[in-house]
Amino acid sequence: MISFEPTEDDTLMQSSVADLAQKALRPKMREHEKAREISAEAREAAFELGLGLLGLPEAVGGAGLGLRTAVALEEEVAAGDPGAAFALAGPSAFGTCLVELGSTEQQEKYLAPFAGAGGHTRFGAVAFGEDKPVVERAGFRTTATKKGDAWILRGKKSYVRNAGRADVLVVFAQVDESAGWDGLAAFVVKKDQPGVGVGERETTLGLDVADVGSIVLEDVEVRDDARLLGGDDFASSLLRFFAKEALLVAARATGLSREAFEIAREYVDTRKAFGKPIGHFQAVAFTVADRAMDVEASRSLVQRAAAAWDAGEPLAACLLHTGHAVSFALEAAMRNGDTAVQLHGGAGFMRDYPVEKLMRDAKQIQLCVLTSEQADQLAAAAELGQKVPLGLVLPTPETQSTLV
Amino acid sequence: MTIEFSLSKKQEFLRDSIQNLTKFVIRPQSLAWDKAHGIPETFLRQMATLNTSMTSSTKKESGEKEERGESTGNFGMKNLDTLLVTEELAWGDAALPLCMPGPGLGGPPVRGTGTPEQKKRYLGIFEDMSESLKYGAYALTEPGAGSDVAGIRTSCRKEGNDWVLNGRKCYITNGARASWNVVFATIDPSLGRAGHRAFVVEKGTNGFSVGRIEEKMGLRASETAELVLEDCRVSEDCLLGGEASYQSKEGFMTAMKTFDNTRPIVAAMAIGIGRAAYEYARDFVKENYALTRHVPRVAAIYERLAKVGRNLSAARLVTWRAGWMADHGIANAKEASMSKALGGQAAIAACIEAIEICGVEGTLQKDHQLLEKWFRDIKVYDIFEGTGQIQRIVISKRLITNLKSF
Repeated sequence: MISFEPTEDDTLMQSSVADLAQKALRPKMREHEKAREISAEAREAAFELGLGLLGLPEAVGGAGLGLRTAVALEEEVAAGDPGAAFALAGPSAFGTCLVELGSTEQQEKYLAPFAGAGGHTRFGAVAFGEDKPVVERAGFRTTATKKGDAWILRGKKSYVRNAGRADVLVVFAQVDESAGWDGLAAFVVKKDQPGVGVGERETTLGLDVADVGSIVLEDVEVRDDARLLGGDDFASSLLRFFAKEALLVAARATGLSREAFEIAREYVDTRKAFGKPIGHFQAVAFTVADRAMDVEASRSLVQRAAAAWDAGEPLAACLLHTGHAVSFALEAAMRNGDTAVQLHGGAGFMRDYPVEKLMRDAKQIQLCVLTSEQADQLAAAAELGQKVPLGLVLPTPETQSTLV
Repeated sequence: MTIEFSLSKKQEFLRDSIQNLTKFVIRPQSLAWDKAHGIPETFLRQMATLNTSMTSSTKKESGEKEERGESTGNFGMKNLDTLLVTEELAWGDAALPLCMPGPGLGGPPVRGTGTPEQKKRYLGIFEDMSESLKYGAYALTEPGAGSDVAGIRTSCRKEGNDWVLNGRKCYITNGARASWNVVFATIDPSLGRAGHRAFVVEKGTNGFSVGRIEEKMGLRASETAELVLEDCRVSEDCLLGGEASYQSKEGFMTAMKTFDNTRPIVAAMAIGIGRAAYEYARDFVKENYALTRHVPRVAAIYERLAKVGRNLSAARLVTWRAGWMADHGIANAKEASMSKALGGQAAIAACIEAIEICGVEGTLQKDHQLLEKWFRDIKVYDIFEGTGQIQRIVISKRLITNLKSF
């Protein structure tokens, strides 16, 4: 049955997360941005709510909740502070990656610590991106070479969220350079392993409260059991990881859209020009109406995609819905951020108002996990019933790099 | 309850049977109907038997709901069911949903504000259409009043127990063939909305005549008529809802209530046409842009296709939500307008892009007549039932405080 009404449990959870977002995150948004981290207090409060773990299997300390719940909660957090959605503690993308690519033993081994005491100080990361294409072939520069029953990792990974904070991460490397995208593999690496180095933290346009940096691998030796095989079909599992993670980003983008829209709506009610509230001019009112439709459409598409995964629809259908949701929600977030600043006029440009931050965050969100362009390629390939071209769909320096 | 998008068994059955009909019966005749420039009467007669059986099988259920004051769509179906069916029908032929016999747009105001006698008298005639096709219609637009509905000039004045109507109505779907039209008129234009009255004018009434049948860009299988009222005299029991119901703003609200119910349906029609064009372009890409080897710029084509797909998908979900809200008794004026605005836009873009994706081939009537037909059919979906701009007025009034008018 088609229904748009969340379960009672979800509604309750959503309201407690909204409470946290509006009371603990929103008032501290500028403070956190300046400090370039979320305070331990706020991280602890989020951890106590179980945020960041809810979607993980129960076996590893998660709540085993579906994506429909996850996207609703991500939207709330991001409505409080989009940066916080990327900077709170927890396994984050590392969790999704382990669930999709790792074995049950690997999930238990690496994810259990996140659920234990002090979880608010633990971060995970996925080191996927690189900053330079390999001109002569498809794939990455970072390599993994077999040595006995171990692998030696060499190279540098860029645009890694939580590069500095994570104590455990998944590193993607080429095990077969001649095989292009088919020669890609994933390994779990601990930060304290010999040879692992962290590059300087980057300062970013938006979402700067999140830690972004690079990981340098100098002859890092990992055991074969740290390799994530991705079940029978590594490429499909990899796509699932990127699609689900991108869907969570789309949910955050929806939260950002909603907040930017609400702030703009309040502003056009109160700001007067030519003797009346500016919202009473058609040029302004129609823009507000367009952005309201953006929020509504983004949320519906995100819910639709989440429901497809939860219901176990065929992979192509899940990828199609996810592609639609991601590309729409990311572009809608940028429109909403832009509109909110525009309707504030000069005031919107000032840091006294939150909208300039939302606009910067919106641009940054568009470059997280999958871009609209990549999501469009994904949706088209799924719609045409084709083998998904990884090189066009996944973030690479050959097309567009993203922050994972 | 939970958030989900799967169809019920009944809905699946409904959709599948209509898909069979559209694919094997309707779509193959679509171009011929367009060329014939008139409603596909033969086909509709064949269908009438099926409609009658559909109506009687669901009548009991819908009767109960109407007593409880819940809104029901066509044939006693729930709003959501109606949306699913409508999208499929429009996929089969863009004009067909507008040609379906029944009260049409005249239904909601009669159902919503008619007295019990009026409901029985005007809606009762549709119970049996085995002999002939029957229509109702909705006559609001005038040459001088389109979006500005409040500016209608068709006049009505009371004479004894009768009302006398004078004026012209235009662009009335099925207006010429309708057994009755809901005609909006004013007792005094200076009163604005408060002066509006809605009448049910039956075919054959003295002073009521049909003007010209319009030649249109698209939707040529739907009939659009001009209506002329010259000292058209109707008895006072033709005043919809009775005189007492016009003490408030009801008259105008009668017109508007119709739109809350019908805008999502019109959005579903648009989405059905847009989907038809989208699938056509998708199949064209599959067949012509070979993928066994690298084709230059294929990624750009993919991106165009995906943009069309996502906008249609977004519009469909917002439309479903508007229908779902109506089924659950939640006020949905804003969402109904959103669905109409998004559906119209997404579908127009779909029909334009489908031609672009196919290249100049897409404009050749010889090979791709459907594409050029949909391109002509779809434009009016951002115009009738409230233009895209009017939808934005409706939406913004519900978002911005104390916004009465611009």
